[in-house]
Formats: sequence, C-alpha cells, structure tokens
Amino acid sequence: MIGLILRRLIQLPLILAIIYTATLILAWKVPGNPLENPEGRRPAPEVVAAMKAQYNLDNFWSFYFSYLDSASGLRALRHAVSGESRAARDEALAAGRLPPSQPIFDLGPSLSYREQRVNEIIGSALPVSMSLGALAIFFALVMGVSAGVIGAMKPNSFADIATLSLSMIGISLPSFVIGAALLLVFPVWLGIGRIPSWGTPLDMILPAFTLSLGFAAYIARLTRMSMIEQLQSDYIRTARAKGVSVRGVVLRHALKNALLPVLSYLGPASALAMTGSFVVERVFAVPGLGQHFVNAVKNKDLFLIIGVVLIFSTFLVLLNLAVDVLYRVVDPRIE
Amino acid sequence: MFRLLAAFLVIVLGIAATLALSSPAPRADFTIINGGDPTTLDPIAASWLRDIRLMRCLHEGLVRSDVTKDDLPIEPALAERWEVSPDGRTYTFHLRHATWSDGTPLRSTDFVYAWLRGTLPDSAADYTSFFFHIAGAKEFFDWRTAALAAFARQERAPGRAEALWQETKAAFRTMVAIGTPDDRTLTVRLVRPVPYFLDICTSVAFVPLCEPIVSRYEVVDPSSGRVKWDTGWTRAAPSIGAMRLESWRFKREIRLSKNPAYWDASNVWINSMAILSIDDPVSQSMAFQTGAVDWVSDVVAPFRAEMVAAKNAFRAAHAPAVAALRERGMGPVAIDRALPPDPRKSTHVFPAFGTFFWNLNCSPRLPDGRVNPLADARVRRALAMAIDKRAVADGVRRLGESIAGSLVPPGSIRGYTAPAGLPRDPDAARRLLAEAGFPNGSNFPTIELLINKEQNTDLVAQAIAKDWQRELGITTAIAVKETKVFREQVKNANYITSSASWFGDYPDPTTFLDINRTDDGNNDRRYSSAAFDALLSKAEAEPNAAARAALLAQAERILVEQDLPMIPIFHYVNLNLFNPDRLEGISSNRRSEQQLFRVRPRGPEQGRTTETQRHREERMLQGTAVSTQSLFSVPLRLCGELLRTDANP
Repeated sequence: MIGLILRRLIQLPLILAIIYTATLILAWKVPGNPLENPEGRRPAPEVVAAMKAQYNLDNFWSFYFSYLDSASGLRALRHAVSGESRAARDEALAAGRLPPSQPIFDLGPSLSYREQRVNEIIGSALPVSMSLGALAIFFALVMGVSAGVIGAMKPNSFADIATLSLSMIGISLPSFVIGAALLLVFPVWLGIGRIPSWGTPLDMILPAFTLSLGFAAYIARLTRMSMIEQLQSDYIRTARAKGVSVRGVVLRHALKNALLPVLSYLGPASALAMTGSFVVERVFAVPGLGQHFVNAVKNKDLFLIIGVVLIFSTFLVLLNLAVDVLYRVVDPRIE
Repeated sequence: MFRLLAAFLVIVLGIAATLALSSPAPRADFTIINGGDPTTLDPIAASWLRDIRLMRCLHEGLVRSDVTKDDLPIEPALAERWEVSPDGRTYTFHLRHATWSDGTPLRSTDFVYAWLRGTLPDSAADYTSFFFHIAGAKEFFDWRTAALAAFARQERAPGRAEALWQETKAAFRTMVAIGTPDDRTLTVRLVRPVPYFLDICTSVAFVPLCEPIVSRYEVVDPSSGRVKWDTGWTRAAPSIGAMRLESWRFKREIRLSKNPAYWDASNVWINSMAILSIDDPVSQSMAFQTGAVDWVSDVVAPFRAEMVAAKNAFRAAHAPAVAALRERGMGPVAIDRALPPDPRKSTHVFPAFGTFFWNLNCSPRLPDGRVNPLADARVRRALAMAIDKRAVADGVRRLGESIAGSLVPPGSIRGYTAPAGLPRDPDAARRLLAEAGFPNGSNFPTIELLINKEQNTDLVAQAIAKDWQRELGITTAIAVKETKVFREQVKNANYITSSASWFGDYPDPTTFLDINRTDDGNNDRRYSSAAFDALLSKAEAEPNAAARAALLAQAERILVEQDLPMIPIFHYVNLNLFNPDRLEGISSNRRSEQQLFRVRPRGPEQGRTTETQRHREERMLQGTAVSTQSLFSVPLRLCGELLRTDANP
C-alpha cells in the first residue's frame, strides 16, 4: 500500500510536466494578444512589444523555461541558497521600499486580472470550489444511492421507472436551466435565499444541489445496475435462506459490494466537482475555480490557464490514488 | 461502508464550517452590479468601462467632465484653475489644497510620478500613447526601451538595475516637458496644440498617485532592469477621490467608503458603496428583482428587448403626461420619477458613446487574390444605401437604439456636428452598382459577412444580407467565427465584410475618425484616402477649436457620405436598472459616463431600508403586473435563450 502511494507520488511531477508542456503549446497557439482589451483601440506596435516583454511573452522557449523554473520552486530554492533573495530584500529596504514577496511555487501573474497573482486566485477560489464540490458529491451520493437501491429492489416497478426517469432528467437538463429556475423560484418568488448566492453556509445549498444532479443521476444508475446484479447472486440467496431480513440483506451485504463501481466513479467525479463548474458558478455568482477554466482560455491568460490545469491534474491524480487506496480497504482481494 | 460515508460527511461539514466565512457584511448605502469584477484597480491599466467607472470613485484628475450636463463640459477638479499659453501648447495648472485620504497633502510631483508610470515601457498599457502628446514623452519612451535592451545585453552586477532606475527617473524630469515650479503648480508643454488636451486630462490614466506611498511598492528586477509595482499597491495607496477602497474580495465584493478628506466631500451623499461580482446577465437582473442591488450597469440579459418593450408600454400608457413633462424640459429619469410607481420604471435606456457598423474591406484584392469589387467606392455606397437600418434597430435589436448615419454619435461631443450620412435609397443603390459594372448584381462575387459567434450579431447579419440580396441581387454568405479567430481575421483584413463596433475613448471626434487613417493600427478596412488623411492632419495643426471641428466634420463626411469604408448601422445604448424613486444621480448623458459618487438615495428612509423591508415592498410592487409575465415567459426564455448567450462575457 505504501509502495503504491509512493509510486504514484513520484509519478505526479512527471505527469504534471507533460501536461504543462502540452497545455502551454496549445495555449500559446491560441491567436490574440492577452494584454490588450479585445474590443478597444489596439495599442501602438512599440507599446505592444513592450507589453509582451513585461511577461516574457515574446519568446516561447524563454517563457517555457522561466515559468517551469518559478512554478516548480527551483528559482526560489536557488535564490535562497545563493543568498540572492536576501540581497534583493536588503536592497529594497535600503531604498525605502517594501521587501518583495516571493512565494515558493510562483504560478505567475494573471494577465486578465492584473492585480491578482495566479497563486492568489487559486488560493481564494479553490476552497470555495472544494467545499461546494464536496457538498455536491455528498448530495449526489445520498440521492443517487437511495434512488438506485429503491429501483433495484423491484426492477421495472413504478418506483424503479420513476427514479430512472428522474435520473434521466438529471443527466439531460443542463445546469444553467435548473440553476436559473431554482433562483427564480426560491430567491425571486419565494424570498428564500439570496443572490449572489455565496457568503453564508446556507447559500451553498442551491448551487450544491444544482451541481449534484448530474452526478446523482449517474450514481443512481450505477447503483441500480450493480445492486440488481448483487441481489441475484448466491450469497444473498444464502443469507435470505438463513432468515436475514430484506433490509439486512440489502443494507449489510448487497450494498457494500454494489457500491464498488460507485467508488471508482467517485474519484474522477470528485475531482470534477471540487475544481468547480463554470455554469453553476456563473449562475449563482459563486467565486469558485470553474469560471477560470473557461475565462482564462477566452482571455488567453496563459499563466492562469496553466495554473488551473495543473491544479485540476493534481486533484485528478490524488483523488484517483485515494480511490485506489479505498478500494483496497473495502475489498482486500484487490492487489 | 457507512463508516466511509460518515467520514465523508465529517470532511464535508469540516470544510463547510471553515468556509462559513463571515455572514455577509451589512448592506451598503449604494449596492451595485458593475458588469462583473473589475480587471484592475491600476488607473493606467484601466481600459474597460467598468474599471473606469470604479476609478472615477477612487481617483480624480486635474479636471473632470460634468456628467450632469448632457454635453459634459469640463469642470475643475484637483486643479482649481488653469491657463493656456497663446500658442496653445503650454498648460499651467494651479492645484487646490487637497489631501490624500491618509492626510498627506497633494503635491504637483504626485502627478509627475503617476505620469512617469504611465509613460514607462515597463508598464505599457493601452493608453500609454496618450502621454505622447506631451513634449519629450515619446523620446523618453524610446530612450527607456533602448536602455532596457542595452541592459539585457550586459553582464549582471549588483546595483546596476537600481542605478538604471534612478537614471530613468532623472531622465524623465529632464526629457519630458512637465514642470513643477512649486508644490501646487504643474506646467505641461505639448508637442503641438491639442485643443482636446483637457478632455484627455479627464482620462483615468492621468490621475495623480501618492508618491511617498506608491513608490514603496516599486520592484526593480535585477535581471532585466525593469520596474514593476507590487500589485499590493492599489489596495494600500491612499485615495484622492470621493471614495476610498475598504476591501476587495476577489470575485465576491468590493467595498468603498466615503473619503472624508475629499475636497468636495460635502457633495457626497453615500457613506458606503458595495460592488457585487455577479457575471451572469440573468442572475444580475434577478438580483435587482430581489432588491439585493440598487443599480445594474449594462444589462445584457437575453430578455432585455422585452424589458425595453415593457418600459415603452408604460410610457405609452402615460403618453400625455410624458409629453407635458418633456415640454417642461425634464430629462428621462426626472420624467419617470414624476410618473406613478411601477416596476417597469426601473428599466432605463441611455445613449452610449459607441457605434455599430459594418466593415467593408477596401483593399484592391481579396484575401484569396481575386480583384475586390468593394475597392470601388460606388459599390460601397450602393451596399450602404441598400440597407434598411430602421428594420435592424427596431425589428432585430429592439433596444431603442438610434440608427446611425455617422460614425460619431450625434451630440456626443461638445461643438461637433456629425454629418447626416447616406439615406436609404435602393434605387440609387442599384444605379450605382450598375455604373460600377454590376447591373442587377450580375458578375458580382458572393459577399461573405464575417461575424463573431459571441456578439449576437447573427440576426443583424441576416437582415443586412437579405437587403443586399433583395435590393441588389448580390449572393451572400454568413461566416460565423470564434472571437479570437474573428479578431485575427479582421485585424489582418482577411475578410470581405464584417461586423464591427467602436467606442470612443476620449471626447473628441478623432477618437472615432483616426481608425480610418491610412497607417492607423486599427484601420481594419485598409482604407486609404489622401483627402481624408490631409483633412485630419490639417485639423491637427488647427489651433481654433471651431475651425478644427469643421475640418473634422468635413473629413467624416468623406467617410460616411462618399467613401464608406464602413457602413454605420446604429448607435449603441446602455441599459440600466435602477428605481428612479429611490435613487438619483445616475447620469443619462450621451457618453454613458457615470460618476457614481454623485448618487443620492431618495425616498422616506433615504433609501437605506433593510433588505427584508425592501424585499417585501418590491414584491408588493411586482404583484400582479409582472407575475403572469415572469411566470410563463421568463423561464421559457431562460431555457431557450440562455443556450445562446450563457458563454457571453
């Protein structure tokens, strides 16, 4: 088990380096200059050249290596060892300035939000997305597993068809429709909740519910399928023959095994939910990470694009690792 | 398994608890949605209207526009008076006794420091070239660019970057013609007389910065020699404007509070202001409906045409009263205020300082190498006269936009009368096309209309294409491109015709006309006219304002009545949401320029009602009038139209 964890953690930087290279090449190829207002007056050519030079945007390779250098923490390490960061600090203080702040893993400035650094943006948005995503996954598990179990108990009954139809609706209805409808019904018509929907814990419920629907539907279908399969297996029949109640069989024996496929789905689903959803965040004005995935590409904000992609990749790798570990805990036969 | 679930629940609750931040701050005197979060608080980097609106609260320049008057005259701000030399090139500004919000007195060197930042290539931004009107500024920019290049080639040595920065600051004082005879006098010598220099001084790039504080945030990069400012400066710098920054919680909320040190503080009626960050256009309108915000700038919700229609219906129901009030010279908001309460009153259509037009590529050859029929001005005039602009504005846009004959919105610039432009005349258009060798559109190649997928111009393009097909017999095709591809194609003149728009950045006709100069970086039409360029150059050298305006009008006449490198279609409007009975001070001027610190809550409780009170009242107001409409049509629209517009900025 420890070997698995170590192996995966050693792989992580390698995976991130490959993703970084691929993302940067793609993002670099996107046309346009991220530093100018897309609609206004184009600055004079010499001003454009100066703008690009500010951020190393004039040369792909110099950008590639300087970003790698500062994002990986190598630069901070080098400066600390050579004493350069201390020298810079002393020089600034001597000139009556504030000492420069230098994070260890510096993901660079944001080109579209000039006042923010990517570290700050991710630092403020990630906790929001994580808690919203965690709550959404929790909702999805509760709703999905119960719907799946209800359906599996009596396949093709009314309850089964009803839950299946509901989950079909959950998968098909886009979240901006559900989100906008929820906003219209609750804050606007009934006066429950508020817009913007962020700030108090209660505010999380509507966006988390909206975000959870798609996951819940998928989980319901997974649970139903594997539950039906489990309920038909020999050990269940044996348990029933021994006189275990239906309830006991379903909850204690079948559900445990039926949830394995759900567990493997939970890894990527959590990564997806906890790194934010563009639509849900937009509709409910949630200050999460999801909006940056779309807006950064739209604005060709290179630093932010790479920053959010790296964060998402890290989450995906770590959560998949967590699922693998859980798998072994749940089912000791898996090696 | 349930232990697993329980563990998960604990994690969730833990995160939720840590995140149960503070409960929302108490409601501000004035809560607004300003089209999403600002992109910057740095005045030299601001080029979006929403950023500029915020800057106007935090900063102030030498002079400002009086937004309460329709023609926005210049009024004194930090300069209490000024003199212009007889040759029109030297301005002497006398600063008033003003202090920054931290108590530091304002000094003329604060302007020099801010303008140095604005001119430096290190911090180059969209409006750097505005400073090039000042004698020596362009030379300084080039000198610094060369010095940085030279620095990058040399060996690194401790202290060299710092020395270069000190040398640069000294060079700015010697090279650029900005003088500070004393702490309260600022002199500026221009390259040539610029009659609109005071208008340029109203731009936010020209505001002063508190040098003693801001200079502490300078960061001199030892490897490149460049200077940047640690981004923390914008939040730490004291304010000279009517409001000061209380907090900026990124993507959540910005809070401003009244600056008691502001020189005109007695005319500021609000003590606090909150700017909520809500990006989604539908959520913005709903936030206003729930009473969470007092004002929404630029409403772009998909059902905005219906909002305008509802407002027009309300006005029509009170037509005699409206006519009588207008007779008495009342403005649009004052008229609304005099009418009985109604939720439809809250929709306001104000003119914007921008024009939507259709680009016509004037190059002799098309991108694919064929001869370009549009290189002939007669063809371009024919295309212009065939379009039914009224149908576009009233049938397609439905926002109350006025149709455009000229590029400069009429009445938007003091002392300038824009030409009328070409009327719609399909018969004349057909004759012109025949004259150019294409009777009834025969032999005319297919005209492609290039549009941006995200700007909702598809219906406008269809209307124009239909007019060209029906009136001139030309075959057309519409090409929809993603924003960045669209922008690149237009910039490189890799198109035949395309949608386009332009918003003025300073109140002078040249802000619109310059984009048609032969060598201008924004001349996407590759239009080149010696007569037009000569008129602009002549106007540049003309010191008399009236004579200059006449020359510029003559130049614009060439554009919109003779050569038509673009076809003006309509002048934009700006849709605002606010309750006129609760709020005054939102300006309806022709450039949609707002100075939000001038607003004043109205009503029995001065507008400072609690959220729940307000909630109840608004709901009662909406009562029957809106409910049937919103019950059925709004959700349907949400489903149908969000699909199209959700990804819009």
